[in-house]
Amino acid sequence: MRRQIQLNTHISAKYNQELENLKHSVLTMSGVLEQQLVNTLVALKENSPSLAERVALNDARVDSMESQVEQECMRIIAKRNPTAGDLRLVMTVSKTATDLERIGDEIARVAKLVTKNRIPSSEIVLSGMMDIGNRNVAMMRATFDAFARQDDKAAVLAHQQDTQIDRVYKKVLEQTATEIQSSPQDIAIWMDVLWAIRSFERIGDRCKSVCEYVIYLTYGRDLNSSSMKKTVKKLLK
Amino acid sequence: MFKLFERDVISVDELSKEQTSIDVQHLSVSLNAKKVLNDISIRIPKNKITALIGQSGCGKTTLLNSFNRMNEFINKHTVSGEVWIDNRNIYDKKERVSQLRTQIGMVFQRPNPFPMSIYDNVSFGLRIQGESRRRALDDSVEKALRNAALWDEVRDRLFDSALTLSGGQQQRLMIARALALEPKILLLDEPTSALDPLTTLYIEELIVELKKQCTIIIVTHNMQQAARVSDYAAFIHTGELIEYSDSDSLFTMPNKQQTEDYITGRYG
Repeated sequence: MRRQIQLNTHISAKYNQELENLKHSVLTMSGVLEQQLVNTLVALKENSPSLAERVALNDARVDSMESQVEQECMRIIAKRNPTAGDLRLVMTVSKTATDLERIGDEIARVAKLVTKNRIPSSEIVLSGMMDIGNRNVAMMRATFDAFARQDDKAAVLAHQQDTQIDRVYKKVLEQTATEIQSSPQDIAIWMDVLWAIRSFERIGDRCKSVCEYVIYLTYGRDLNSSSMKKTVKKLLK
Repeated sequence: MFKLFERDVISVDELSKEQTSIDVQHLSVSLNAKKVLNDISIRIPKNKITALIGQSGCGKTTLLNSFNRMNEFINKHTVSGEVWIDNRNIYDKKERVSQLRTQIGMVFQRPNPFPMSIYDNVSFGLRIQGESRRRALDDSVEKALRNAALWDEVRDRLFDSALTLSGGQQQRLMIARALALEPKILLLDEPTSALDPLTTLYIEELIVELKKQCTIIIVTHNMQQAARVSDYAAFIHTGELIEYSDSDSLFTMPNKQQTEDYITGRYG
């Protein structure tokens, strides 16, 4: 059964506020990461090591945010004993924060490509990377918009964006393999490029997981479970 | 570093004199020749909620009763140590106990309204203190009932017997009766143990609101309640203070193994 969680209906006003703050903390974190991703793409496009350096340094801020969110989740579980929708929200926030922290790591890894001056010389590979990166930005926006509104349909639609990212990822990998064959002496550089491409692909996977948490939050079930298939079909009609 | 969540918790070790409401120093209490509290030293912060937790018979209520010298109603009692409130050691020989008790309100486990009207119950303490002006009494009664979140429910039947109120309403009436004297400290001894879960949550919410006006100390067996409402918590075991800290720390990462065993239900 579909359940929209009302955060402001507890008898305890402080508890309402705590859950509201918890939800906002994830949105704040996702906002920071979206900016990190956009900055990385700019640094990559314009070959700006200083901007990339800033992105890499900013990752510590994301790590600290994750740790704060985890601590707050633990505190709320210990002090408030949340149940049902409140418990699902706390668990969702906790898992989302972990995924966001990993997204931060992936972004930092791509940014290091610029600081280490290892931007691929091939125009076709670079534009492929920019393509995945831009798709990641769009998917992140859609995912956290769905999270903010607890919108199950939007979450399913955002979830589907990963298929397109995977398709582009495979294409870029093939192009990179061709480039490696033509300049095998630069294999060390290409290895870094491959890791960066992989990092971009992983961001899509992490967003996909967050979409699944949004569905879990609303229905209390896994998006990929057989019991959800009919519901998903209905949502997409 | 960027802070996602604001906390205004001061460590108990860093409480200044101004932030302290009650300063207990080496308090030991014996009742009927049995030592109930042993060398307790604790600083209760001002305008915060402090919960006293521990097993039955560990001395929580005795400690609570020490703050308004209620233990003196027991014939064979001895007290050593000091309890400082407003720069006065309340166990000093010069202390006027009746005046002290007007500054420290107390609410018990079971509501004990007097067999008189709601109005008379709330104004009882003020009348004892000599207040007889009708207007002043009316204002105080309304204010106390509003603060106890009871006004809207009883405003049209202030002169009905207090015994006609429900359990939850009676308990809020008890809080209103204590608040009428505008106490600096409010002692709550298991205030919700006789109430249903929903009424309990309403009373807890009221307690959280009341800390703006006074320091609150609550004795409870309900661990979850202590976790929900308190800013600070003290774990007492066989008359000894085992651990005292802000409740965020105590309920997530207690320092002592004994506390961890108790709050996780492993004790005994």
